[in-house]
Amino acid sequence: MGVPLSRREFLFLGGAAGATAAAGVVVPIAISSRNDGSEGGGAAPPTTGTTTTTSTTTTTEAPGGGETAPPVETAQGYPRVMVASMGSLEVDTPVMFEYPLKGQGNLLVKLGRPARGGVGPDGDVVAYSNQCTHMGCVLTDYDGQHKVLGPCPCHFTTFDLTLDGEVTLGHATEKLPRVILEMDGDDIFAVGVDRLIYGHDDNLAGGEPVA
Amino acid sequence: MSNVPIPPVDAKVNITCCEYCPVACAYKVYSWPVGRDGGRDAADNAYGRDIPVGALSGFWPSEEMHTVTEIDGSPHNVIVLPDADMEVVNIGGTHSIRGGALAKKIYNPEGLTADRLQRPLLRVRGELVPIPWDMALDLIANLSRYTIDTFGELAWGMKIYSYQYYENVFAGSKLARGAIGTPNYSPHHAPAAGDDVPGLSDVGIDAFGSAFEDDKEADVILIAGSDPYETKSVRFTTWTAAGGAQLIYIDPRRTFTAQYALNHGGMHLQLTPGTDVVLFSALAREILANGWEDTEFVDSYVASREELDQESKYRKQLFGQTAQEFRDFIMAEPDFALDRAQEITGVPADDIKKAAEILSGGDGPQPKTMLLFEKGLYWSHNYENTAVIGNLGVLLGATGRPGRATSRMGGHQRGGQSGAGYPLEKSPHSFEGHPIEMDTEEWLVQGNTRMRWIVGTNWLGAMGASHALIAKVAELVRRGPQVTSTDPATAEAQLRARMDAGGMVIVQSDIYLNDSTEYADIILPAATWGEETFARNNAERRLRIYEKFMDPPGEAKPDWWAFAQVAQRMGFEGFDWKESNDIFEAAGPRSEGGRRNFLALVEKAREDGVKAHDLLRSYGNKGLQTPLGRDDGGELTETVRLHENLKFKSDSGKLNFIRPDWATVKARNAAIGPDTSKGEVWVLNGRVNAVWNNMFDHVRRAISRERWPVNFIEVNPEDAGARGIESGDMLSIESDNVLDQLGNRTTGAVSAVAYISDSVPPGVTFVYFNFPGSPANSLTSADSTLQPIARRYNFKLGKGRLTRTGSTELGRIMSFVPRNLAPQGG
Repeated sequence: MGVPLSRREFLFLGGAAGATAAAGVVVPIAISSRNDGSEGGGAAPPTTGTTTTTSTTTTTEAPGGGETAPPVETAQGYPRVMVASMGSLEVDTPVMFEYPLKGQGNLLVKLGRPARGGVGPDGDVVAYSNQCTHMGCVLTDYDGQHKVLGPCPCHFTTFDLTLDGEVTLGHATEKLPRVILEMDGDDIFAVGVDRLIYGHDDNLAGGEPVA
Repeated sequence: MSNVPIPPVDAKVNITCCEYCPVACAYKVYSWPVGRDGGRDAADNAYGRDIPVGALSGFWPSEEMHTVTEIDGSPHNVIVLPDADMEVVNIGGTHSIRGGALAKKIYNPEGLTADRLQRPLLRVRGELVPIPWDMALDLIANLSRYTIDTFGELAWGMKIYSYQYYENVFAGSKLARGAIGTPNYSPHHAPAAGDDVPGLSDVGIDAFGSAFEDDKEADVILIAGSDPYETKSVRFTTWTAAGGAQLIYIDPRRTFTAQYALNHGGMHLQLTPGTDVVLFSALAREILANGWEDTEFVDSYVASREELDQESKYRKQLFGQTAQEFRDFIMAEPDFALDRAQEITGVPADDIKKAAEILSGGDGPQPKTMLLFEKGLYWSHNYENTAVIGNLGVLLGATGRPGRATSRMGGHQRGGQSGAGYPLEKSPHSFEGHPIEMDTEEWLVQGNTRMRWIVGTNWLGAMGASHALIAKVAELVRRGPQVTSTDPATAEAQLRARMDAGGMVIVQSDIYLNDSTEYADIILPAATWGEETFARNNAERRLRIYEKFMDPPGEAKPDWWAFAQVAQRMGFEGFDWKESNDIFEAAGPRSEGGRRNFLALVEKAREDGVKAHDLLRSYGNKGLQTPLGRDDGGELTETVRLHENLKFKSDSGKLNFIRPDWATVKARNAAIGPDTSKGEVWVLNGRVNAVWNNMFDHVRRAISRERWPVNFIEVNPEDAGARGIESGDMLSIESDNVLDQLGNRTTGAVSAVAYISDSVPPGVTFVYFNFPGSPANSLTSADSTLQPIARRYNFKLGKGRLTRTGSTELGRIMSFVPRNLAPQGG
């Protein structure tokens, strides 16, 4: 019956593919981002035929508190650009910046709540492309109460910024592309983008890098 | 990091539609050998577009729109891209989260679809063992013949998707209803065949379905028992919301669309579950009391007493009313008065009054009004609820004209052209002395079915009182011998012996194993979307081709082929089809006269010397809106809206009202509703956006399972607080007061993660309806004698007690933000 599932895929499918999940048993699911290639992730089918240029590095200690920041990815070819300073951020007040190409809008926000992929002493600073992954409309509404971006003005998709940009409800087939951030002292740098930005087959092709 | 390959100029392009919701957005399938990618210049790719593309271009394949599979023996890239050239349905290439990820449905031996069924399987000593097709088909044919000869044709049953492609449904129903001639035939969604909206049909209105353009034409749209943003997503954004009609939304839940209506000058009538009869009748009473009805329409198109007396349909004789009789009835029933209606439905009297005024235009000019509904309405109380919305439609003249319709929004798409009529006269069930379609699940639980072919449905969780049904089926398939050998003669003898012992043999055709295949003896691997050329209608009767672009994996075969093989091995004639087009052409004549009528297409194809599939293909993704006809020049003509000649479903061509029996409904609510003294709450169930009705595919799709790793239950903060429940806690939802298929009290339970939300009011919860291993219908009563007019379940009126069984860490991976964050009005 075809190629057996890998252990990760089996875990992803849990009891659902054939067995009956017993009441109260949680079906296991991989937790981390789908395309980061890191251990524990990879819940998605392999992206056969694509070229992976990701490397995972453990970075720098976080400033101030001396805590270690979570591992972040730096991707080959992406510019490393300072996009904000920690001290200037206020909770729920988004900051806009262009990255990785000129004209590509992103939103950086201190959520006030730990978030997947978040950086900073509280692990709550995240940045995402502001182009909806459904049809590319610009997401204008950040909802600080629920930490979501959306509903998109075009077709109403809403994205959860605490959970890697997951679609909570709506048409989009993809999470929001997450800008990979890195701390250096008080400065916050963009160093890559996880997932494709709307319109692109490759995030770095077809435009002029911001740096 | 991420990228998606670009199709070269010479990539193969096929057309198809989404196979999920009834909107059926159109898609193009690009396939080409891995390593032969195109370029970013418009001249170098199959899109003819420079890449990157701009917003709303419709030419951006997301990662979910791409996969790699084997085509013609070598690895190919496949991109399934919404058709950006569409001017109907999904204009400009919009799409939902479901269809947008169709590429991930495709068989990929290195991906999550690797467990597709590829060879026929026989359960030997409890294990599924691959066997040759010939052996499987001979076994099914021989056992079928034995069943019919020994126990009669009523002992042989088929349970099959009613909505699937014309070619498969026609072939299966021709075998079961025609060749074998059994009334033991039911669709995936109900215990009995037949009309799902009998009340509305008895009013005289065809429910399936209104043209999408009428959503834009309408001034006011009432939507009952369906959240179109969740479940007909593109219809809502491209048509229903885009037209700017004032929305009157009726649902016990404050869904996304409810909130959208409120944010855009509309209303949400948040009724108590099971009280639709009173709410709709109160709206009718308010309209009549104020003289707000469409008098001209009612006077012209509602039957007189003399006309009604001539009607041949017995239900019209039992329940049909003239306009005056309806008025007298509505005005005389005290529960339909505003104050009583408020008490019963929980909807403020002022809101009922205001809604009646908006729907009818009050004393001002009459608006163009649409009344749209789906399962929340007709799977609550089937006959009565579909009657009362029809009654309101007649009062408002909501049919047959631009922006005016009374219609289902649609559950599935439509390819249910039967290959033979239903043998009603053989049915053991009746109503008031008239035979009705048999309740096949009751029949099975009574031990009367010895062999059943399940086709394309995870049926055990789809039927009411699921756990009692599962227990009974487990007992029936284990009664008597089990197969101990792959030797054909031995296996056949053992399965015959089981039938002789009163047991049951199950054959199941599907693309994956599921909860129900646990009980199957023989499993046939089916070919699916993209692996065979099929045709089907969408909810606005748009008939289109779904092209084959790859072979099915392994030895999987389309269901029509398996039906034909078994039929021929049983000695039946008329099943010697060579390809799916042969069946499509055979189905044409049987579609004549109905809403699906495509006979003209088949006849024109024959005149033109081409295949009907190929002629349909020539109309592209726009397709043809049925029923079809021919103009004087022989060209095909389409039908935008039903009843546009203002002729209705009756002998006289007139409409009538139907008297709903509220006293019976009230008693039924008491019999199946929650017992609050035991702490029970309503447990409503339904579909949700990301997974819809498609867990067969969506358990294998990363984006869906990350959103819904387990089943969930929406609980009001008040109910949660009283029980110490927080979002992320696991709950067991149980009832020991569910009625099984025989009307006996039984138990049911599901487990689900708590999702605290004020989208449900206190005393009401909502759970996804058929999550693998967690069938919400186990909390739904299955005593269809409670709905004796047409044997249906009260699917949407489940109940249970909430018990917190523990906390989870799901909060780390699953979003619990409100699902009804609708945009503000402009």
